[in-house]
Amino acid sequence: MARLDGPVRFRGGGFAPRDNRWASAGTLLGLVGLWQMAASAGLIKSLFLPPPIAIGAALWQLIVSGVLWQHLSASLVRLAWGWTSGTFFGIGMGLAVGLWSACRSPGMAVVAALFPIPKIALVPLFIVWFGIGEGSKIATLAFGVFFPTVIATAGAVDNVPRGLIRMGQSFGLSTAAIVRTIVLPGALPAILSGFRVTSSIAIVLLVAAEMIGAEQGIGAFVLSAGNLYDTDNLLAGIVVLSLLGLLVAWAIGQLERALLAWR
Amino acid sequence: MKIFAAVLLNLALVLPACLSPAQAADPLRLGLLHTLSPAPFYMAQHSGYFREAGIDLTFRFFDAAQPIAAAAVSGDLDVGVTALTGGFFNLAEKGTLKVIGGGLHEQRGYEGSAILASNQAYDAGLTGMEKLGGRSFGITQYGSSFHYMIGRIAEAKGFDLKTVTLRPLQQVSNMVAAVGSGQVDATIAIASQAKALVAAKQAHILGWAGDVVPYQLTAVFAPTATIDGKTDVLQRFAKAYQRGVADYRAAFLRLDAQGRPIADANTDAAIKAIVEYVFVGDPDARTKILAGVGYYDEGAALDVADVVAQIVWFKAQGLVKGDADPKSILDTRFLPTR
Repeated sequence: MARLDGPVRFRGGGFAPRDNRWASAGTLLGLVGLWQMAASAGLIKSLFLPPPIAIGAALWQLIVSGVLWQHLSASLVRLAWGWTSGTFFGIGMGLAVGLWSACRSPGMAVVAALFPIPKIALVPLFIVWFGIGEGSKIATLAFGVFFPTVIATAGAVDNVPRGLIRMGQSFGLSTAAIVRTIVLPGALPAILSGFRVTSSIAIVLLVAAEMIGAEQGIGAFVLSAGNLYDTDNLLAGIVVLSLLGLLVAWAIGQLERALLAWR
Repeated sequence: MKIFAAVLLNLALVLPACLSPAQAADPLRLGLLHTLSPAPFYMAQHSGYFREAGIDLTFRFFDAAQPIAAAAVSGDLDVGVTALTGGFFNLAEKGTLKVIGGGLHEQRGYEGSAILASNQAYDAGLTGMEKLGGRSFGITQYGSSFHYMIGRIAEAKGFDLKTVTLRPLQQVSNMVAAVGSGQVDATIAIASQAKALVAAKQAHILGWAGDVVPYQLTAVFAPTATIDGKTDVLQRFAKAYQRGVADYRAAFLRLDAQGRPIADANTDAAIKAIVEYVFVGDPDARTKILAGVGYYDEGAALDVADVVAQIVWFKAQGLVKGDADPKSILDTRFLPTR
């Protein structure tokens, strides 16, 4: 081994990638620009992939005609109901699984058995159970959101430092008070990051939920445009879904900042 | 012994060469629905009409109409037969597909597609097609042939299509189930399914689409690559298809004095050919085929005026875009028109 003589060169640093907002926006814009140039030069046939300008024009048409808002509002109502009810029951069951032995194994067995079922395969069953109207659509979303929420919540409760709970017990806090003041705040960060996953799942499932019997809805709109090989509107609808995802991610980020300010 | 073996070997080598035709047949891939509707193609294939025309025809089966058009655009098919839909016209509009001949036709006096009312809606007063305004109606998708049919029925019966709540249900089986369980007030089903529902007392037939809106339901089409690159093969294909249609009409479409279809030896021979492709091994195949056969025009003629009217309707609904001349997506050199 070589002997080290003199001052040691600084060898730390690196391994700390930094965010650069301009680079991310620039990359996306650059890709869209390339796509448009290839389309304008005739390298991409509009039948196979419409150029960004045509998608933008289709989107603009949807906005000014008010059609977009009709579809979007129908979908937002379903998302709100489906996601909220799935999350509500998911957190409830997740807490039960995380806190009580009586619920743990049975609960996790049910989740493990039902989580991998493709929700789209259950749509026909939901129609028989909840009818062709809003019920089956909300149920599809709620069912899809429920299981990941249970898993995120149960994991979050498991990761609350036991030392804090023991401390609460030695100070004579009741079980309810321990749950309210130690377990819930301790589990909140992981539950909120679970929201990021479940909200995306809900948007993905929107298309499946609106497959049957939906006159309005952005998922129904995308499906119908696909069936008509109306590729401009198909991609315009996909852009709207993607923007919806960005918006929801931003909203959850705000929620995290508000609720986790105590950290 | 050695000579005997040599003769045998020679025979084994030479015989297959003698049996196969001198000239290799032209391969052609036909895309079609795996249902009863393209029956003339099954019959022509069974009778060897395509082989006689020097065509090695392979069937590529699909379970929905629109992917057939898409597969033709992507180059996976040389010719296809499918329902004329908004999606089909949108693809054809871009100059990639052309309609070359007729297929199934909704025809006055022939039971093709029935308009069905659910029991609940029927009891609540939905007893005629003119009362469909304000009701819910099951279709597969916007721009489908079912959407077109209810639109034309609305025009013919004088109610506004906008007052009908259209329910896209994706699959025909869902439409039948939805009307049977009363989830939608009405829908459209082909004769065999409609009659089965009525027999099970799960729905009521309000009438037949062919009596209200006779129109070209399916058509034969080809991508421009086939039309330009294999013109003569396509011409021979059209002739063989016409022979199949002639057999089909002789088997199923002759009516007696009372307007009832005649079933005789021709019919039995045709059913034997068809069950090689659909209802394979089904003991009720004969009944199902007789209940389900639709009308084909003589010589597989294309109802040009109606196809143009369909494109105009889809454009008026905003379901088909572009402003290409409707006639530019037709090529009538291969089969007759009516």
